[in-house]
Amino acid sequence: MRRRSLRLRLLVTFGLGALVLSSLFASLTYIGVQHLLVSNRQQNDLRQTYANAALVRNTLYTSPPELANLLNSIQNATSSSVLVQTHHQWLSRSFGASTTDVSPTIVKTVIAGHAIEQTLLSKGRLIFVVGVPIPAVETQFFEVFQLNSLDHTLRLLLLVLIAGALLTSLVGISGGLWVSRRAVRPLEEVSLAAAMIADGALNTRLVVTRADREVQRLTESFNQMVSRLVERLERDARFASDVSHEMRSPLTTLATTASVLQQHREELSPAARESLDLLLADLSIFQSLVEDLLEMARSDAGAVPLVMETVPAIELVRQSARSGARRHGIDEPSVLVEKGTGEPLVSVDRRRFERVITNLIDNAHRYAQGAVAIRIAREGRQLAINVDDAGSGVASEEREQVFERFFRGRAAHDRGIARGTGLGLALVRDHVRAFGGTITVEDSPDGGARFQIMLPVVLEERE
Amino acid sequence: MPRILIVEDDDHIRTALRLMFEGEGFSVDDASTGELGIALFSRMASDIAIVDVMLPGMSGFETCENLRVQSDLPIVIVSARDDTADVVLGLESGADDYVTKPFVPEELLARVKAHLRRRPDKSTNAFSLGDLQVIPDEGIVRHRDGAELHLTSTEFRLLTDLASMNGKVLSREDLLERVWGYDYFGDSRLVDVHIRRLRMKIEPDPANPTFLVTVRGTGYKLVI
Repeated sequence: MRRRSLRLRLLVTFGLGALVLSSLFASLTYIGVQHLLVSNRQQNDLRQTYANAALVRNTLYTSPPELANLLNSIQNATSSSVLVQTHHQWLSRSFGASTTDVSPTIVKTVIAGHAIEQTLLSKGRLIFVVGVPIPAVETQFFEVFQLNSLDHTLRLLLLVLIAGALLTSLVGISGGLWVSRRAVRPLEEVSLAAAMIADGALNTRLVVTRADREVQRLTESFNQMVSRLVERLERDARFASDVSHEMRSPLTTLATTASVLQQHREELSPAARESLDLLLADLSIFQSLVEDLLEMARSDAGAVPLVMETVPAIELVRQSARSGARRHGIDEPSVLVEKGTGEPLVSVDRRRFERVITNLIDNAHRYAQGAVAIRIAREGRQLAINVDDAGSGVASEEREQVFERFFRGRAAHDRGIARGTGLGLALVRDHVRAFGGTITVEDSPDGGARFQIMLPVVLEERE
Repeated sequence: MPRILIVEDDDHIRTALRLMFEGEGFSVDDASTGELGIALFSRMASDIAIVDVMLPGMSGFETCENLRVQSDLPIVIVSARDDTADVVLGLESGADDYVTKPFVPEELLARVKAHLRRRPDKSTNAFSLGDLQVIPDEGIVRHRDGAELHLTSTEFRLLTDLASMNGKVLSREDLLERVWGYDYFGDSRLVDVHIRRLRMKIEPDPANPTFLVTVRGTGYKLVI
């Protein structure tokens, strides 16, 4: 399963966290403030109702006809509606409120002699009803308050709180962004560095910055690990190189002594002669092997720097083919240049390039009765150098492996071919890569294998 | 019978080389140190020397320089390392050629014989390079003020071969074949270092050569 990214998770956690917390805070604030406001208002209303009820009672005692005027003045003075019931008859029906606002239960309670207060929803509006009995004159006084004005304040508050919650969430998200970047960036740097190291850039190190302590520690231990690893690799490479070095002297003695024996061949018995032939043949393999190992150790350890030169490619291939063929005492393959190739320049280490061509020719000689031709063609900004043979080709599943060290393909097993070192093509690949080129194997137009070197062209030589 | 001096500290290799060269009809003088080798040379007047680089005491390079001061004999150094720096150092200390261990004995033999076969080229006419007068049939280079300039036989051969081309380019391979006498071994560094050494001697400003010119990627030519 593909894991979600840490960065996303941190972001979501921070964002959601901020949202939940700020919503909770906003809700609590809203409820609290609402409660406070409403109860405050109701206290006032209650006080006012009792005062008004006292006025009504006094008026009914002294001059009942004045009641209507009183009620009007009350209504004008306050924003409430007033209802009065005497002997079960509604006396006043004021504007803005109707007797239906006062439910029969409220009326009953008040008739029974109890004062009552109630907040209720009537026709979609919040109202506060207060009923006060005036038993002396068998009258019930009701006052109905609209809570709408409070509603307005509360809505404003709600709006402010929602905005606040959103803002807090945004702050949370940006905080998450910051934290995740800070936490994730070192991880990304490490993984990038690790990938570069895996690609062979062994001198890659992380930069130790004035970062958090944990990150600094990670950076340091990562760098330390890489250094140890590189040390280990170098030690291994040095070991291979040392071993080969140590073999040089005895091998030189062996080879020289064998050639002394060869000088005295005529004095040897037939059995001794045959043994000498075996000895000479294997000595030569041994010698090539040590040479190849040394060459490989040199480029592995980077002990010998490349000596890059910009040279005309075609001339270089011709000379390399000639010296390679002569070195191995085999036929020199013809070098064919495709039309339109021009006189391209390439940047190579001349000695190593010679080695590349020599090894490819030698390889074709061993496994495919020799190279038919070396064909050179321009392909855009690259130069293709194809070493073609007419042998049995390289099986498609072996086309990567042939460049591996000590790989022996079917071709090597099938026939009793003079053994190579198993390092020739691996060296070819190492060298070509060092020039910034690539090497692949495919089918040649001659029916065998085509080893194709692609090298970047430096620039066209002026004729 | 050619006389060969072998300076090599490894007893086994030295003995094997002695046997091989004796088998090829050489008179062999062998020494295990540079000091002994030099002493031997002054008594025996060898025709050619093989000097190992890694010697106890006096190094192979020093031995080489010492021998070169005394004589123009061809010197082949045997190095255990193929690093360019080592090869260059060896050639600059006066050697004419080098092989690296483990060498193919037949190759060493062929090289030694090629060096001995080589004779100074006296067919080229005398020519001058700036203040210098090159006289092939006498084998000398003389400054205008009369002072004689010393070139080794390899350097002299290099110069006269390039001169005989009348300004045409010779590739490194051509030069290896003509000057060293091999057609298939030796690498281009051999030519490059000798060209550099020659420039130090004949060019007024060796860093910006006017006579011995490099033709990029192809080879060298001599502009007279």
